[in-house]
Amino acid sequence: MKSLKWLVLLIASVLVLGACSGGNGASTKSKDGKIQISFINGFTGGDGAYMKKITDGFNASQDKYEIVESQEKEHYTKYKSGDYDLVVIHGNNLETYRLDGMIQDVGSLYEKAGLKESDFHKAGMDLAKLDGKLYGFPIDIHPLTMFYNKEFVNEAPKTYEDILKLNQELQAKNKDLYALGVPSTGLVEFYMLMIAAQNGVDLKDGNALNFAQPEFADALMTFHDMVWKDKVSPAGLGLDGEFKTFMKEAESGKAVQSAVALTGPWFYGAAKEKYGDNLGIAPIPQIGKQPAAYGNAHMLAVSASVKDEQVKEGIAEFVKYMFTPENLINWADGGQAPVHLKTIEKVTAEQDKYQIAYQNSLQFDSFVAPPQVYQYGEQIRYMNEKVFSKLVTTEKLTKEQLMKELESATKKAQQIAETEPK
Amino acid sequence: MHKGTSTKTWAILMVSPFILCFILFWLAPMFLGVWVSLHNWNLSSGNNGFIGLQNYIDILTPGSLYNEAFMLALKNTLVFVVISVPPLVIIALGLALILDHLPAKLKPVFRTIYFVSYSISVTAVSAIFLWLFNENGGFINNLLVSMGILGKPINWLSEQPYAWVSVLIATVWWTIGFNMMLFINALDEVDPSLYEASDLDGANGFKKFIYITLPQIKHVAFFIIIMTVIASFNLYGQSRLITAGGPEQSTTTLTMSIQNAVFGMNQLGVGSSMAILMGIIMLLVTAAQYFMSYRKKEVN
Repeated sequence: MKSLKWLVLLIASVLVLGACSGGNGASTKSKDGKIQISFINGFTGGDGAYMKKITDGFNASQDKYEIVESQEKEHYTKYKSGDYDLVVIHGNNLETYRLDGMIQDVGSLYEKAGLKESDFHKAGMDLAKLDGKLYGFPIDIHPLTMFYNKEFVNEAPKTYEDILKLNQELQAKNKDLYALGVPSTGLVEFYMLMIAAQNGVDLKDGNALNFAQPEFADALMTFHDMVWKDKVSPAGLGLDGEFKTFMKEAESGKAVQSAVALTGPWFYGAAKEKYGDNLGIAPIPQIGKQPAAYGNAHMLAVSASVKDEQVKEGIAEFVKYMFTPENLINWADGGQAPVHLKTIEKVTAEQDKYQIAYQNSLQFDSFVAPPQVYQYGEQIRYMNEKVFSKLVTTEKLTKEQLMKELESATKKAQQIAETEPK
Repeated sequence: MHKGTSTKTWAILMVSPFILCFILFWLAPMFLGVWVSLHNWNLSSGNNGFIGLQNYIDILTPGSLYNEAFMLALKNTLVFVVISVPPLVIIALGLALILDHLPAKLKPVFRTIYFVSYSISVTAVSAIFLWLFNENGGFINNLLVSMGILGKPINWLSEQPYAWVSVLIATVWWTIGFNMMLFINALDEVDPSLYEASDLDGANGFKKFIYITLPQIKHVAFFIIIMTVIASFNLYGQSRLITAGGPEQSTTTLTMSIQNAVFGMNQLGVGSSMAILMGIIMLLVTAAQYFMSYRKKEVN
């Protein structure tokens, strides 16, 4: 009877475990014998469909390899805990993944795919190259982009003086109309790094970010002054305030509107839908001492766990397919600006069709890459979540008070940098 | 035909799925969490060895990165617990009392109306309240300005104390139905003869509530308070999606901080230690509540 009890327990265990299990383990070959390459990315927005066009196109063209694509909101988490061959990593995260040993040198894959460094814009290659080796294939750069409403703006502002002038004109027309909106959270990393680049401030200090620089404090005070002194932006705009204000319609005492938005290119679809032909796009104006653009990038990287030569051959085939103007143009169609030179040529030739990709490609020459430090996102977190918000919401903020916050942010960044694997 | 052994076998068969699930989904993860918290465990590079209580020491050492994050989040979470538990209990009780006095035909209708919000996902709830509390031309601001109650719009989501007020209103609207249902069930259990007797004694509504209703539902009320405290400690979705932890990290909660330690900083060991510490704090708060209630009962 004792054995019967154990048998019952065993059956119950099997039933429960069977119910709990997710399914079969991943196979490297499909039913029709194709070698499968797992590919994860975070393209869950409108751009997902355009990447899918590329992977579907590759799969249709192949009888040997198959890309199994997963588009996941938390794709970094899934990548860390899962088993994927290919991954899309943001340019500012590449160093972290390299130091964590999660991606591999892809120099040999460039050769296999018949690609050279000179096939890409230098801005993209600067991001892909770490410690003298190539750790990714640069797909695009998505810099801070300027949208403007042609109803209020005849010519895109090129300097801060243009913005001041525009604001005066708009305010004279309607007190609820502003030149632009400065958000308190959201895309503020782009704002801070853009103003640092335009003032020649280098935040990288060894393996950590050093925010506690008087020149950086001066540069940051520009945004404070935009809100409280020059009043080119309304005060108290919250998350994504720069875009939300651009999309609003001024309503006396209730809603404010801006004529210009310095924002992410991913908002293009929504802006185009609202403004149609009235939507203007241009490179960002020079607010600091010199022209410079800042933004992030998408890099195609290969997992450190990929050792199988057949899988590597398949990845090289996919890369070769992707970095062909006829295929990568799909990505430009989705509003992204590819850094592959032949695709840029195609975008330039059809600049009306690929309006946003073309305008952003104009910013590549002055693009300043994110500092390559371990856990960049965490090192800048305090700045993103606390300091910038304080900067644009505190009317009486002084440079000294700001410096104190910058020192706190630097201390935290250094503590994060200390967690770098030795 | 009754066979003792057969009954025992069936009993084991019936109970074993629960026991296995209990072990798999509660006991094992808990012990695994404790074990991970004693290791230098990085999400990317894996287990880098046993370090004893070092993660706990790091979290509790003033000035350290993890201490600042944990203490800030703990302070924010306690603020939310303090401001959210009274309305979540009192409003739920108020609604339950009102529903209890409605005609029998209307009761299920209103019960459903108030409970339906509880079935909505936090993402949808947050989207609704983001729209309502939008600083620039949002519904609430427009309404209050149009009615002359406000001279100028309020920055509901990017200024304190309004950010907490927004999260609180969203939480009350979303979860109040659950507490209300528990109170309704408790009120249904009160013996009607007690009210009849008090009517004969000439007791008014307030006295009936104080001397009959409250004592009769106090055990359920105590359970609701404990469950609400625990739920408030676990605040995550609303503050993540409505205020994104801001302004200036003032609505960043413990759960958000733990999530960041694990998935942002990759420090699985530190994150597990934070989670264990959070569990201990919740346990202490709940035990204090229980102790105070128990002692009061003894004195009475």
